[in-house]
Amino acid sequence: MASVEVELLWAEKYRPKTLDEIVNQEEIVRRLKQFVKSRNMPHCLFAGPPGTGKTTAALALAHDLYGSGYARYVLELNASDARGIDVIRTTVKEFARSVVPGPIPFKIIILDEADNMTADAQQALRRTMELFTSTCRFILIANYPSKIIEPIQSRTAFFRFTPLKKEDVVARLKWIADQENVKYDMEALETIFELSEGDMRRAINILQAASALGRVTVEAVYKVIGAAHPTEVREMIKAALAGRFTEAREKLRALMINYGLSGVDVVKALHREIFSAELKIPEELKVIIADYLGEVQYRLAEGADDEIQLSALIARLAMLGKRLRV
Amino acid sequence: MSTRLPWIIKYRPKKVAEVVDQDNAKKQFIPWIKAWIEGKKPEKKAALLYGPAGCGKTSLVEATAKEFGLELIEMNASDFRTREAIERIAKVAATKYSLFGFRSKIILLDEIDGLNAIADRGALSAVLDLIEATTHPIVLTANDPWDPKLRSLRDKCLLIAFRRLPKRAVILMLKRICESEKLICEYNALSLIADYAEGDLRSAINDLQNVASISKHITLEVAKPILARRDRQYTPFEALRSLFFSKYAWQAKKAVTSADIDYETMMLWIAENLPYQYTDPEDLWRAYEALARADVYLGRVKRTQNWDLLAYVFDLMGAGVALARRKTKFKWVKYSFPQKILLLAKTRERREIRDAIAKVLAGTLHISSIVAKREVLPFLRIIFNENPEYAARIALGLNLTESMIKFLTPKRYREVLKELAKLKKTA
Repeated sequence: MASVEVELLWAEKYRPKTLDEIVNQEEIVRRLKQFVKSRNMPHCLFAGPPGTGKTTAALALAHDLYGSGYARYVLELNASDARGIDVIRTTVKEFARSVVPGPIPFKIIILDEADNMTADAQQALRRTMELFTSTCRFILIANYPSKIIEPIQSRTAFFRFTPLKKEDVVARLKWIADQENVKYDMEALETIFELSEGDMRRAINILQAASALGRVTVEAVYKVIGAAHPTEVREMIKAALAGRFTEAREKLRALMINYGLSGVDVVKALHREIFSAELKIPEELKVIIADYLGEVQYRLAEGADDEIQLSALIARLAMLGKRLRV
Repeated sequence: MSTRLPWIIKYRPKKVAEVVDQDNAKKQFIPWIKAWIEGKKPEKKAALLYGPAGCGKTSLVEATAKEFGLELIEMNASDFRTREAIERIAKVAATKYSLFGFRSKIILLDEIDGLNAIADRGALSAVLDLIEATTHPIVLTANDPWDPKLRSLRDKCLLIAFRRLPKRAVILMLKRICESEKLICEYNALSLIADYAEGDLRSAINDLQNVASISKHITLEVAKPILARRDRQYTPFEALRSLFFSKYAWQAKKAVTSADIDYETMMLWIAENLPYQYTDPEDLWRAYEALARADVYLGRVKRTQNWDLLAYVFDLMGAGVALARRKTKFKWVKYSFPQKILLLAKTRERREIRDAIAKVLAGTLHISSIVAKREVLPFLRIIFNENPEYAARIALGLNLTESMIKFLTPKRYREVLKELAKLKKTA
């Protein structure tokens, strides 16, 4: 019977399983290995940009502490998915209650995207952390450590993850491509690094998508990036500047519904697009638009309605476009 | 600010038993419909349901259709202005079988007293012809059946009276909604809302949603200032028309506060229809900016629970929008229902599938659903659009369902499914 070739997402398939397999962040790995050696650890805060190995390090640490069956000693939570601090508290309580026999006297709770929690929720989290210190260790993961409240920062060991170096990312991509028997141009792997800005997960996602097209070439990489950035963004700006309001609004709605973008996502995509080389608009106009994008993003973050605010944005673009023509 | 379905739609009764009160009407109406279903054409082929606004006439018809599996063909007063429109319906009424596998149909002509006896004379006689020819039950609704222009219709119809809803029935329903929406409510506040509604459940539910859009605690203190603003209510269409017609700030403010929908929904109505009304780009920009500022103020009202600020919301969404018009000439345009609300309802299924995929990805990749949607979905789409064989292997690995595959590649999902079937066979 032929074995079925099930394909996984490479970002997961090639995630390092142990601390030894992690090739960069040497200083961090060295400190984490100390914890394994002493079979004890404090609460930790892993901070750094996306795709720099924070979750990987947390899982690898758990693996090295408990062995391959580590999953039952680990609770993974995501602050953006768990609905509020109450849910987190209840889940933690349930998890902490059951005692699992073994040589390590504590279990690990990994709380990802902790910087998405409000200050109030973080205060509640701090109390929860203290309550279960005897049986649990927390690893908090965040992109921006400054968004973590002082009392939590002072109670955790701090680990700063830095963006990955070009040679490390390219070497990893090359290794994965070889494992997968994918043909590639070295130049293409370098392009992937440039476009993923040191984010390993993004780099691997691009590689996998590009390999689905055939040989991984620079063109294939750009094709993937282009397809991942909806063309509606540019079309929306063009229609708006040309004064075709309803057409621009339809593009906007397509973006939000088909791609699942939030209002803030759309504003960010517009911001990228305004400064990209493909859009031909006067330089000073870019600044005027960026200024307003900043205002809209702030309003949306405060809870304003995306449809109303983005319609106002389109109307402003239409007005600017008209002034440009006369 | 999340846009919710209007509660009058969300809490529409789905069964006859859920229709509040009106036992006498039900006792007449249900046997009449049952006779139709059993193939015994009743003596009167049309029923005229009459009674005050918001007492459940349309709701009962809709609930009956749902409960008995009948296809509901609905026509509003605004739709049956012309003879042709009614004749179109008449054709449907005359055909025996349904396209959608329903057993039978109900033809509903809502708000029949909205017909203008003189202007729509052709329409009225078309309705009479329709009753003559129909093979399906026809239901008409009206507030006032004793209008002389309806005399000829009355004779052809089974008359079913709906009574003004008693206050306790209104309060009971409001309480149920509060429970389901997890609102904390004071009895006094609900009682006040019921008093204002005067037996009109629709307006009571709208008022409740209005109050709830400001605060999760429905107290007398919160409800009072909001209810007091209302004297006469207008439909969103009327409110928009009078807003865009306004020459003075006070007119515009009055227009937006008198609509029978909550403020957030009114803002969406304005946002939807502004570009149709204001064609000059400068006017349009000024109007949207005012509306956007109103939206910001409403956000502050909700966050700080400071009702005083509500006044500024009305200033900007009313006067700010109306007085933004400098160049555009006023013209009559057809207003439409806010697409945002419709799209949210229509695309619910798609969004649910999208979220389900994100959840699968989040679980396997140790990331949040939000990151999965933003960072992984786009690349998955590329793979599924470009390489069906490879996509099938991933689909198997992630255990994706058929509808998930269809979401990822609407164009090539058949190919992916074929490959997937092949893979499963070799297994």
